Amino acid sequence: MDHIKQNPLVKTLGFNRIVLCLVLLGMYGFFAIFADHFVSYNRLLSAMNYAYFLGFLALGVTFVIATGGIDFSIGPVMFCAAIMSGYLLTHYHWPLWVCLITSIMIGMLYGVLNGYLVAYKGVPSFITSMAIMQISKGIASIFTKAQSVSWPQLAQENGWYRNLVKMKFGTTYIPVGLIILLAIAIICSIVLNKTKMGRYFLSLGSNKEAVRLSGVDVKKWEMIAYIICGTLAGIAAIFFVAAYTTVQPGYGDQYNNEAIAGCVMGGTSMAGGLASIGGTFIGVMIISILQEGILAIGLNKNYQLVITGIIVITAVFLDVVSRRRKN
Amino acid sequence: MGEVILTMKDIDKSFPGVHALDNVSFELQRGEVHALMGENGAGKSTLMKVLTGIYKKDSGTITYDGKDVEFTNPREAQQAGIVIVHQELNMLSHLTVAQNIFIGCEYMKGTMIDDARMNAESTKLFERLNINIDPTETMSKLTVGKQQMCEIAKAISHEAQVIVFDEPSAALTESEVSELFEIIRDLKKKDIGIIYITHRMDEVKVITDRVSVMRDGAYVGTLISENSTKNDIINMMVGRVIYEEPKTASKVPKDAPVVLKVEHLNAGRLVKDVSFELHKGEILGFSGLMGAGRTETARAIFGADIKESGDIYIDGKKVEIHSPKDAVKCGIGYLSEDRKRFGIVVQRTVAENSTMAYLENFMRGIFINKKNERMEAEKYVGSLAIKTPSVNQLVVDLSGGNQQKVVLAKWLVRDCDILIFDEPTRGIDVGAKSDIYKLMNELVKEGKSIIMISSEMPEVLRMSDRIVVMCEGRKSGELRIEEATQEKIMHLATMEN
Repeated sequence: MDHIKQNPLVKTLGFNRIVLCLVLLGMYGFFAIFADHFVSYNRLLSAMNYAYFLGFLALGVTFVIATGGIDFSIGPVMFCAAIMSGYLLTHYHWPLWVCLITSIMIGMLYGVLNGYLVAYKGVPSFITSMAIMQISKGIASIFTKAQSVSWPQLAQENGWYRNLVKMKFGTTYIPVGLIILLAIAIICSIVLNKTKMGRYFLSLGSNKEAVRLSGVDVKKWEMIAYIICGTLAGIAAIFFVAAYTTVQPGYGDQYNNEAIAGCVMGGTSMAGGLASIGGTFIGVMIISILQEGILAIGLNKNYQLVITGIIVITAVFLDVVSRRRKN
Repeated sequence: MGEVILTMKDIDKSFPGVHALDNVSFELQRGEVHALMGENGAGKSTLMKVLTGIYKKDSGTITYDGKDVEFTNPREAQQAGIVIVHQELNMLSHLTVAQNIFIGCEYMKGTMIDDARMNAESTKLFERLNINIDPTETMSKLTVGKQQMCEIAKAISHEAQVIVFDEPSAALTESEVSELFEIIRDLKKKDIGIIYITHRMDEVKVITDRVSVMRDGAYVGTLISENSTKNDIINMMVGRVIYEEPKTASKVPKDAPVVLKVEHLNAGRLVKDVSFELHKGEILGFSGLMGAGRTETARAIFGADIKESGDIYIDGKKVEIHSPKDAVKCGIGYLSEDRKRFGIVVQRTVAENSTMAYLENFMRGIFINKKNERMEAEKYVGSLAIKTPSVNQLVVDLSGGNQQKVVLAKWLVRDCDILIFDEPTRGIDVGAKSDIYKLMNELVKEGKSIIMISSEMPEVLRMSDRIVVMCEGRKSGELRIEEATQEKIMHLATMEN
């Protein structure tokens, strides 16, 4: 075991991430064998539809978890942003680009509110994000009078935003969404590992008081983590509707859990101080392939919940065990 | 006094980097109150933790009631009859007195908890102790003194044969202390052996039969309380070797400018109207007993806690410090007494910790210049002799003394002109200690100024140019090094108002 860990390739990529990649490949192989017609480009594109919005949610919440907090509101906030901006587009006929920016702004505003309460008022993030989850669901319902909202199709007027997910190029589709998600993931990774902001996020997740006593404005940085998280939820909203068209008020909770599951699988510690953007990315891919595969072998969505739960527990358990052995 | 109930022989215990107990022996008789004294870090608490199974000893034997024992946790010790009454009370403040006393061994009636019986049993216990507490009262409504008596009652309920009091009087008022002494005398009559850890010299004569002294993790000796004087005990406590030339006269010129002036500082219960001046190139010692308000004063100056009133001047100019960020901008660095909680970020590397207070100096655009960061950290790893395989080592893997040096490096990287060192050598080994003393002397030579809070009297006397003594939140006196003696400091530190 140890000599594998000393391998330079393994060292740079990280042992856990390699295990995670193997899990991903194994899962893909499993479905390739047991599900009909699973190995196809269209299947992958379909699986990626799920990965885009979930990816943005998970990237955002990785920052929050790095600071030692948690955000349970991202799913409903994403829905709230998608519903409100979609309603502005379809009922009030605002220009499309304004609606897209509005969606991002709505996510950001929830992030500001959440971050302010956590960082400056000392309310536990568990509580604030639970409350904001409810608030965002309520606001979305009130705004649309509890109607669902359908964004335009590609062929319809204002449908070009759908190219953000996949663009037709000749006879094939290019997964534009994957390129954007990857680009943002790389930016997130740089922010987390190379900049002052990321350093402070991870440090205050590990020992906030020591960072404060080093003369760092910890409240400001903690709040920024939530704002980033909210903003990415606003972006996720755009990718959700670009893939799935219709959003219904009152839902979205499931996606928090899946996003957080993605982070945790990827090696981000719920205790704060340790986070991996690459791990989160792979975690999201696992969940996306899983949900596509479950549908492909003809099981319903509930099986996906069970399996995701098991994977999360296993990942965290292995993490705890390896850390205990270290001590 | 009677037969021996407890013997600890040649107890040895090491932690990474610290030899905490060095062949310590200790004996307790039935019906005896045996004081255990020593400075902070002398090893008293560690010894008691070894006794009750919180720590596992490296070697040595414990004989209790004629049998060799080795407890693996406090619960086992408790069942055998050895109980600690902790300094910080372990009470569940929302439960009632009786529920607290019987926590973990509740009386049951079928599947339900039998509160009525627990209340009745508690009343019986209190009667035995001649104290008057309502067992149905919520714990948080009691005074600290009464809470402590509940702890004692809890100890008795376990049929304790040995009770360890860890600085029981520290948080009590005078009348509560005399009430406590009554109870202890009563316990004595019941042939219970009592180990009494204390810092208060005057209590030794009043309540104890014998006194054992520890120093630097080693046993120094035992005296009969009646025949010993305060000086005897102090001599045993402090007769240590200090690895830096003693200071007999201040080297700070009389006309050295005042770099920090604090006027009428008030903050909370433990900082009352504190005023003092710090000169350039000076080490200003802060002495006093535990809970005298020294750390609180430092934290208020540094902006870590809210201050109610008072002015701070740096180089003659009044400054507003509302947060550590403001303080660091003013050139103040604070090395906390509790480095684990307030000093280091354990999950980060040595390099990352050392630039924590001055990260803006290591930026290239929006990116951290990791090469510069590493080079700067390596410089201090060298000059402070930090024992670490590399600057990329996580701080969690370092020993206590080396962690402390990393915190020091943090403030040296920032190049603070005013450094507040709060117990800079607590819990670290002698080698690291002398390194830190040397470093402090070098720093003041460079023109920096240091406030050193220390509970170790010899440290204060040998490092300081001037000494401020605090007592119960007030500055009770100020001594020049030329005139300062342990007795004078002790006198000021224990001044009764």
